[in-house]
Amino acid sequence: MPFKDLLIVFIWRQFSVRYRNSVLGILWAIIQPISMMMLLTFVFTYIIQVKTGSYPKPVFYYSALLPWTFFVGAVNGSVKSISGSQSLVTKIYFPREILPLSGIFVAFLDLLIAGSIYIVLLFYFNISLNYTVIWIIPIFIVLIIFTLSVSLLFSSINVYYKDVGLIITFLMRLMFFATPIIYSIDKLSLKLKLLLFLNPMTFIVENTRRVILEGRDIVLWQFLLALALVLILFHVSYKIFIKIEKDFADVI
Amino acid sequence: MSSDPIIELKKVWKKYKIKKQTSRTLREDIVKIFSNKFDKELLVQGEFWSLSDINISINNGESVGLYGPNGSGKTTILKLLSRVTYPTRGELTVRGSIAPLISVGAGFHPELTGRENIYTNGTMLGMSIKDLKEKESAIIEFSGLDKKFLELQVKNYSSGMNTRLGFSVAVHSDADIFLLDEILAVGDTKFREKCAEKINDLIGQRNKTFLIVSHQHERLKELTDRIYYIEKGKITDLV
Repeated sequence: MPFKDLLIVFIWRQFSVRYRNSVLGILWAIIQPISMMMLLTFVFTYIIQVKTGSYPKPVFYYSALLPWTFFVGAVNGSVKSISGSQSLVTKIYFPREILPLSGIFVAFLDLLIAGSIYIVLLFYFNISLNYTVIWIIPIFIVLIIFTLSVSLLFSSINVYYKDVGLIITFLMRLMFFATPIIYSIDKLSLKLKLLLFLNPMTFIVENTRRVILEGRDIVLWQFLLALALVLILFHVSYKIFIKIEKDFADVI
Repeated sequence: MSSDPIIELKKVWKKYKIKKQTSRTLREDIVKIFSNKFDKELLVQGEFWSLSDINISINNGESVGLYGPNGSGKTTILKLLSRVTYPTRGELTVRGSIAPLISVGAGFHPELTGRENIYTNGTMLGMSIKDLKEKESAIIEFSGLDKKFLELQVKNYSSGMNTRLGFSVAVHSDADIFLLDEILAVGDTKFREKCAEKINDLIGQRNKTFLIVSHQHERLKELTDRIYYIEKGKITDLV
C-alpha cells in the first residue's frame, strides 16, 4: 500500500482538527447518543407508554443508538469529503477513497468513545455479559462494510450532484424509522420481518441487543443475509466509485 | 533500467467544457439520460478539444520543455501526467513517480500548522512518514522560513511563505519525474535564485526526468535538452 502513510496522516489530520480541544471532542462524540437515549426514554416512559421487554429503557435504546450514530456520523462526515476538497482533487493525485475513508475512521473513534459510556450503562443496570459478547465483532464488520458502501456511493455522487446532501438528510430520517431503534421486531409477522431485514441496520441493531442484553447467540440466517446484502452493495458502490472518480477533477 | 520512455503520450485527446455548469442536479440529469444519447468521444455544444492528437515521448533523465501561449494546453498536459485528470481518448503511460511542482502548496490544509502540512503534503507526494521525519529539518532549512512560523496555521501564511514551504517539500521528494509550471515566478528574487540553482543541480544529475512549462523561451532553452512547441492543443514544429 503505497498510500498507507497518506491515509494515516489524513486520519490524524481530521482527528487533530476535531479533537484540538480534547474535552469538546469527547463531549461531541457522546452528546448525540446520550441525549437521544434520554429523549427516547423520557418520551416512551411519560408520554407514550411503551414496553421494551424486561430491559431498562436506557440500555435498550442506547444499544441501538450506538451503531446508528456511527452510521449516520460516518455518512454525514464523508458525503462532502470529496466535493469539499476541491483544491486537493484538482491539483494533486492520490487515491480518492482516502477522503471518505478518513471521515469513517474519525466516526469510528467517536464510536469507541461512545462505547465506553455503553459499558458504564451496562454495569449500572446490572446486565451481566457472557461469551456471546464476542458476536459483536461480526456484527460490527457488517456495520462497517455497510457504512463504507453508503459513504463511497454518496461521496462520489455528491461531486456531480449537490442535491445529494438534501437527499441524505431525508433518507436518514426514513431509515431511522425503518430500523428497530425505538421498537423491537419480535412480535412482527415473518413477512414484515423479512421486509425489515432488507435494511442491514435492522440486523445490526436487533442482534446487538440480542448478544449483549439477552446473552444469546446471533441468528445465523440473519447474519448471512445481512452479510450477503452488504457485500453486494459494497461491490456495486465501489465499482461506481472507480468508474466516476476519473472525472472528479473535471466536474468538481 | 528499461529502455522504454518514462513518459509516453500516444494520440492523446482531452475534452473540456467551455461553460462549467455550476449547479447540476440529479433530477435534471435523469431527464437528460432519457432524452439524448451520450457519446463521450464526440463534441457536444459547449465543449472543445483542449488537446488533440498529442504525441510525446520522454526518456529517463531527459529534461524537456513545453512552450506555447496561454490556453494552448500546456497545463492540461501536466494535469494528465500527474493523474489529476484523464485523457478522453488515446494512451498515456508514466513509468515512474511524479512530483508536480505545478501549484506548490496546493495541498496545504489551512487549519494545520506549517510543520503538520509538511507531513500531509509530503505523503501526498508519495513520501513515507519515516522519510519525512528524516528530511524535515532539510525541508525547513531550504524553505528559509523562521522556526516560529512552522507552528503557525497555514491560513495565516502569506502567499510567498506558502510557496516557499510547498516548493521545499516537493523538491525533497524521491520522485523520478518533476513537473514544473512557470517555476521561475516562485517567491522573491533570492528564493527564486535558490530554486533555480536547485533545479539546475537536479537536472545536472541526470537521474531525474524534467518536464518544464514556460513562456520564457530563452530560459527554457537553457534548462532543457529539447522543446515541444504547442499551439491550440496541437504540437507544432514552428516556433
